[in-house]
Amino acid sequence: MPDAVANFLIAWLDPWLLLLTGLGTLAGVYVGAIPGLSVTMAASILISFTFKWDVNDALALMTGVFVGGVYGGARTAILLNIPGAPSAIATALDGYPLAKKGLAGEAIGLTTLMSVMGGLIGIVALALFAPPLSSLALMFQSRDYLLLGLIGILLVGTLSGDFAKGAFAGALGVLIGMVGLDPMTAEGRFTFGTITLMGGIHYVVAMIGFFGVAEALMQMRDIDLPAVRQRVSRVVPPWADVKRYFALALRSSGIGAVIGALPGTGGDIAALLAYDQAKRSTKDPQTPFGEGAKEGLVAPEAANNAAVGGAFIPMLTLGIPGDAVTAVIIGALFIHGLKPGPLLLSDTPHLFWFMVGSLTLANVFLLIFGLTGIRIFAKIVECPKAVLVPLIIVLSVVGAYAIQNNPADIYWMLAFGVVGYFMKYYSYPVAPVILGVILGPMMDANYRRAMIGARNDPLTFLADFITHPISLVLSVAFLLMLISQTPLWPGRRKREAEAE
Amino acid sequence: MGELWFAFALLLFAMAALWQAYGISGFSGLTSAGVFPMLAAVTMVVAALSILAATLRRPVEENASVRRFVAQVLPARLIAFLALVVGFLVIMPWAGFMPSAAVFLFTATALLWRRGVIAPTLVTATAMVLIWLTFRLAFQIILPRGVLFPSLF
Repeated sequence: MPDAVANFLIAWLDPWLLLLTGLGTLAGVYVGAIPGLSVTMAASILISFTFKWDVNDALALMTGVFVGGVYGGARTAILLNIPGAPSAIATALDGYPLAKKGLAGEAIGLTTLMSVMGGLIGIVALALFAPPLSSLALMFQSRDYLLLGLIGILLVGTLSGDFAKGAFAGALGVLIGMVGLDPMTAEGRFTFGTITLMGGIHYVVAMIGFFGVAEALMQMRDIDLPAVRQRVSRVVPPWADVKRYFALALRSSGIGAVIGALPGTGGDIAALLAYDQAKRSTKDPQTPFGEGAKEGLVAPEAANNAAVGGAFIPMLTLGIPGDAVTAVIIGALFIHGLKPGPLLLSDTPHLFWFMVGSLTLANVFLLIFGLTGIRIFAKIVECPKAVLVPLIIVLSVVGAYAIQNNPADIYWMLAFGVVGYFMKYYSYPVAPVILGVILGPMMDANYRRAMIGARNDPLTFLADFITHPISLVLSVAFLLMLISQTPLWPGRRKREAEAE
Repeated sequence: MGELWFAFALLLFAMAALWQAYGISGFSGLTSAGVFPMLAAVTMVVAALSILAATLRRPVEENASVRRFVAQVLPARLIAFLALVVGFLVIMPWAGFMPSAAVFLFTATALLWRRGVIAPTLVTATAMVLIWLTFRLAFQIILPRGVLFPSLF
């Protein structure tokens, strides 16, 4: 135990590591906030010039970027309605309406506090529950991952209120995610025989198109209106708010830590699940969800930051990445001669406790950087739309090209932007499209693995969903969510009657 | 009217996607490459039919016309801006990212902002310097190069 404490404190006591963690967190906040720049991309680039560094230095910088980046996505979600990262999609739903009411500062302040709280709870989960949670994750079968993906898309599809539009958008995303060579058989899917499409369409390109470009085109409709002046008068949220949402933040952090610990699921699903849970459990919100409910801000932000600690659990104990960024960090550990997996904790426990300490330190820096500099950041949105909209297009072009250095990605981005414009105009949700692109390939692979496991027998395949405890729980959850969108659901019938 | 046409276009797209998905491997097996794309496309067709039916059930807007649709959904300024974006992307492979982005930024801000020439020039110059410093120098991102100045941009 004393060794664990000593290793935990390394990043706190070494001035150089302190500086690197702080710099990483600050950079992460701004990288996460710039639409088109992803934390994964920043972490990948960092590997390219930190591979010669000492492992502690490299990890301190990268954990800082990770923690800051997950939080940073919320800033543009609140100020511009453009989520900086998929994990901030749910944050935009209530964050932007709050900003439009002149409460941008309070929204960012509350987001910061709840993000730090979620982050710290995720780290506690990492430190205390790593072995039992990772053994539970190890028990998940392919069909369970398929169900998790379906539940994720269904959840975000139903958030818009129109199930058919949400389902269409989710399926469209899955279809976009299928473009390219099939990873199992190398058959071309929607490639039309062109080499350009064989590598597929990167989800970041779709994200920039559907969120960045579509939003810019929407802004063109009322470009002469005066720029949105977000009032950032109060940044530290009222104590009453902190007390009121404490229990919700705790629950959402728990969801985030567990979801983050499941391999392949990260902050995006955690945030959406927590948002949905908050929407269902909050009986009488002060402001309706979607119109600036603070519950809709607290839940996803606590959850996606808690998912950071959770994502490290399978990475450090099983060698399985919890999400895209931890996959990059696994690469960094391999470069430094370490092998993440069950032996990492027994062979190099100092590294585990160093990372726990480094993540905690990054959250402390997050609190400092999150509550300062907001006014400067908010000035960006005071910039006239006539300047901001062309700038968003230029940044989107850089972001789309930087992913794979492929000029075709820029054209895809523009096409998605135009489609996204029409979808937004006619009230189709675009978030399920992105989730579909991200989760589609994972769901496809797991469906096929599950079917192969059932020896291509559809009856055995279906029976597996009700004869295994984890699958049964997930299947029931999925069916309940599906039924809740039909008139068979009592609450829905009542709501529809009220609407009429 | 526009919403109805959009819903109809989505249905057509979904049906075309289903046809393409079927073309991947047909019904050759339950784990073939085309099964999941077909499931996604079928979901799209069913959802698009449901959206179309719901849109048709709604009362038709008064004064619905092509001119009104164009004025509301595709105003001239939006079409002109999209043309500028397309122009930016078309000249980029020839001129490179930096010059084409600078021309696009200047033209778009000058036309939309209507503040003369000096303000858009300053905005463009500042933005391009910041983009170069942030992306090319700090993040070491390769920006698209053109054939006109291959060694520079």
